[in-house]
Parts: sequence; structure tokens; C-alpha cells
Amino acid sequence: MNVYEGVMQTLIDELGRLPGIGPKSAQRIAFYLLKVDALDAKRLAHAIEEAKDRVTWCRRCFNISEGELCAFCLDERRDDHVVCVVEEPRDIVAVERTGEFRGRYHVLQGAISPIEGVGPEQLRVKELLARIPEEEISEVILATNPNIEGEATAMYLARLLKPAGLKVTRIASGLPVGGDLEYADEVTLGRALEGRREVS
Amino acid sequence: MLVTADAGPATSVGHLWLANFRGLGEIDVELSSGLTVVQGANGQGKTSLLEAVGWVARARSFRNVTDALLVRSGATEAIVRAEVTTSGRQQLFEAEIRVSGRNRILCNRQPVTRARDLHGLLRVTVFAPDDLTLVKGGPAERRDFLDELLAMLAARYDAARSDFERVLKQRNALLRAGVREEEARFTLDVFDEQLVRAGAELTRGRLRLLERLVPAVANAYETLALDLRPITAEYVSESSPVPLAAADADTIEDQLRESLVRRRRAEIDRGLTLVGPHRDELHLMIDGLDARYQASQGEQRTLALALRLAGHVVVRELAGAAPVLLLDDVFSELDAQRAAALVRNLPTGQTLLTTAGALPRDVVAERTLVVRDGRIEAVSP
Repeated sequence: MNVYEGVMQTLIDELGRLPGIGPKSAQRIAFYLLKVDALDAKRLAHAIEEAKDRVTWCRRCFNISEGELCAFCLDERRDDHVVCVVEEPRDIVAVERTGEFRGRYHVLQGAISPIEGVGPEQLRVKELLARIPEEEISEVILATNPNIEGEATAMYLARLLKPAGLKVTRIASGLPVGGDLEYADEVTLGRALEGRREVS
Repeated sequence: MLVTADAGPATSVGHLWLANFRGLGEIDVELSSGLTVVQGANGQGKTSLLEAVGWVARARSFRNVTDALLVRSGATEAIVRAEVTTSGRQQLFEAEIRVSGRNRILCNRQPVTRARDLHGLLRVTVFAPDDLTLVKGGPAERRDFLDELLAMLAARYDAARSDFERVLKQRNALLRAGVREEEARFTLDVFDEQLVRAGAELTRGRLRLLERLVPAVANAYETLALDLRPITAEYVSESSPVPLAAADADTIEDQLRESLVRRRRAEIDRGLTLVGPHRDELHLMIDGLDARYQASQGEQRTLALALRLAGHVVVRELAGAAPVLLLDDVFSELDAQRAAALVRNLPTGQTLLTTAGALPRDVVAERTLVVRDGRIEAVSP
């Protein structure tokens, strides 16, 4: 679709490189940006620049952060002894929204996936291991995704951490709350049955 | 007998609307709940009509071609809409199959995001001219046949199969990249365990299916060939010194685990997963002789038909509703005697049949469609 000239094509090409944006969307966004107020477009450009300049990885948990440490690592009211391990920073947001977790986080920045050339050494695993004695962590919650790669990563970490005498737990997979059993797909319901609990 | 008096409720496709599906233009047709015959010269779009019905059942082509190839050239999307009746309940299936980007599927006007959620809407049994490969072809053909039946029967086996395939891809990538350091060996241990879990689930499913399928195949073969020699089957796995049976279900995980230990050196050397259900073989035997190598072409063809018919019967029994039969140009490959036997023993329920020539005498169409140049030229009655 190289029908535009010069800067316009460059803009479409750049937008097209973003995840989830195809050539048609890229073209639509490019024309939208041309139409909007110059100030609005500049504000977007500025926001991108600022974010690139100021956001880095938290030195401790590898969440995104504007300083050395992220907001969760700086928060003194949090429980130092429990750490929730997630794949990506956006997973922290999902866990935080539950309001159920008051411990610390550790972001692996991915999951084990040999297809993509990602092994444990490409993830922040060593950093997690180093944190355990340093911060006297006693429980690790493995909150990686419930797919093959996430399960493999969780299993890898569990095998690594359990011999150290830690409490290692895996988040349960199962039914959405507020849903009807009738509408749950068989696979999800099957896994929920496997992970059933005794009612106290 | 293949046809029982009480075949249970059947699934059927009533109204069918298509646009730009393969060679077809716009199609708007009502199918018979019994036998619909689709006639026309070659290349006019008969098979496409069957393939569209098959797409409703599986959200992919039964010819295993990618969706982009299903869209008529020059168009950006194909439309498939179908009224599906199961146990008296009518549902509307709608799909936009796109050349690029995600397909859009609606069931009763509600978006369907995963093919798995369509499970059980429509089941089809497909007879195609190349079914001979089920018997004559390599072990992968028979594994796929079993796995497709399993997926039709229970969503958990559909999930087990895709989990297994994913684990296999990851594990092969790891083995290919080389497993030299301690850390890589530790990662391989993890994928070993995943392979064992997903692989055992898939193997158990196949063995339980075979327990029901093999007697049905023997039955169908006897009826079609008028041949009393016994049909047997052996499921052979690298992980077991003797053929596996459903009774072995509980020990499969352990057997897989042991073979992975035994074969680890070889797997690392070759950079390939050598243990698992992706290498298992189903041997079909006529009177104790392997049908792949030791049967005549006629026997192989009859056995392939018997496999399809038996699959149909087993799905009907276990799922409680007869699948829709799609017979693509099957009579051209059969001699008169076998064609007649097939016609006599076709299960009841909705059937779509394509033919370029004349039909065997006993075939009574309840509706005939004449397809020409991507359009329906005539409908009778």
C-alpha cells in the first residue's frame, strides 16, 4: 500500500508497526492525526517522548517505574514477605484491581517460550531468586497466564523455589464469578472441577 | 446393521445462504432434511457447497485449506449463514470469513470468539474421494481421524489436542536450540512433564474412542463388503512394548514419563521429540494382516468407508444426535457392488451428496440442486 508520498507514508508505516494496527487502521489513524488540531497531535508526540524518556524498569521488581523503584515497591504498608510473580507489568494492574493482594510483585517480563527463543535466562528469574533471601520472602504466588507457556514458567519456578523451603502457590483457574455454570465452556468447567475445594 | 430403527434426533441444516465462498456467487437455498443431491459438471461449485456446510461445523475447511483460500478471488470476505436445527431447536449461524484479519462468527446474533464455543452446534461426517488415504496413507492420517472424532465428542479432547500440539512445538524448539547447560536441562524437565500430561490425556481419549470404534468398523466392513473376515486394530506406542488398550488408561502417564527418560539422549542428539501420541500408530487389520500394506485397493477403499461410517455411528451414539452426512463424489470411486452396499447402509438423517454423473439406482433424492458456474441453476422439487 505504498500509494502515499514522503512523510505521510512514513507516518503510516510507523503506525503500522504498532501491535494490533494493520495497514488500514494505520492509514485511518494517520488521516485522523492530520485532521486534528496541531496542538492535539503535538501533545501525543510529547506524551510518547516523555514516556520513553522517563519510564524505566523498577530496579527491584521490574515493573514500569519513573524512578529507581516503582510505586508498589515504595509503598511501606505492603507485606514484604509475600511476592506475586507475573509475566507483564499490565498483569499487576489486573491483580491490583482485585484489592485482594497487599504484598509485593515481581515482573518476569515474559514467559518461557523456546519458539521465541525465550528461556529462563531471558526472564527476570535470577533477580527473583536474589530477592528471596534479601527481602526475607516466605511465600511466592505464581500468577503467570493459564496457557502452555505460563504453566511451564510456573512449573519451572515452583521446582526452583520449593526446595528452598518457601511456600509456593499457583493461582486457581476456573469459573468467572457472577456467571452461570450453564454458560461456562466445558474445558473451563472441567478445570474448575479438578481444582475443587471442600466447603468449610 | 448400520441403520437402526431409532436413530435418535438428527441435526440438520435448513436454510443456507452463501456469498463468495470459493467459486460460489450468491446462494440462497433450502436443504432437504433427508437427502439433497447436488449435481453439476466438474468445477462448478458442488464441493464448495458441502465445504460451506462443513465450515459451519468446524469453523474451518474439511479439506484443511486456510480460510483465505476459501474467499472467492477478488472478494475480501466470504459469507456463510445457516439455520441449524438440533433436537427441535433452531439456531442461526453466521460467519464472515476474511482474507486478512480475524473472521467474525455469530451464533444467534451473539458473537462467538472461540471456535470451541461452537462445540456441538453442528456435527458432520465427511466422505471424500481421498478417504482412501485413511487406510493407505501414513499413520498421521489415522491419528487425525481419531483426533477429529474426539474433538467432535468432547471439548476437553479438543483442548487436549491443541495443548499437546503447543507443548510439542515448544519442546521441539527447545531441543532444536540445543540442551547443553544445566539450565536448559531443567527447562526440558518442565516441558517433559507438560508433554506427559497433555499427551496422556490425548492418548487416553484415543484409546477410549477405539474401544467403541473398532467393533463399529468391523460391523460396517462386514455389511459393506459382505466379507466375514475379522477387522481388528492395534494402537502401538513407542512408550509401550505391547499395543495399548483402554484398560491401560491409568498407566499411560507413567509409561510416557519412563520413555522420556529412556529416550532423552536420543531426543537431545536429534533435536526432536521422539516420544508421545504424535508418533503413535493405529494398525488396521483384515484377518490379521495390516490393511495398509497387505490389502487390495478395493479392500482398502471399503475399509476407509467403514471407518467413516463407524465414526458416524459412534458420534451419533455418544453425542445423542446424528451428524449431517456430506458425501463428496464418493460413487465415482466405487464399483457397482460396493456403491449399492453403501446406499443400502447409509445412515438416516440429513445427507448432502455431490455427483457429476449418474447416481446408483436406489438413491432417491428428496431435493436436487443443479450447480453451474457458482450459482444454483435449478432446484427440484
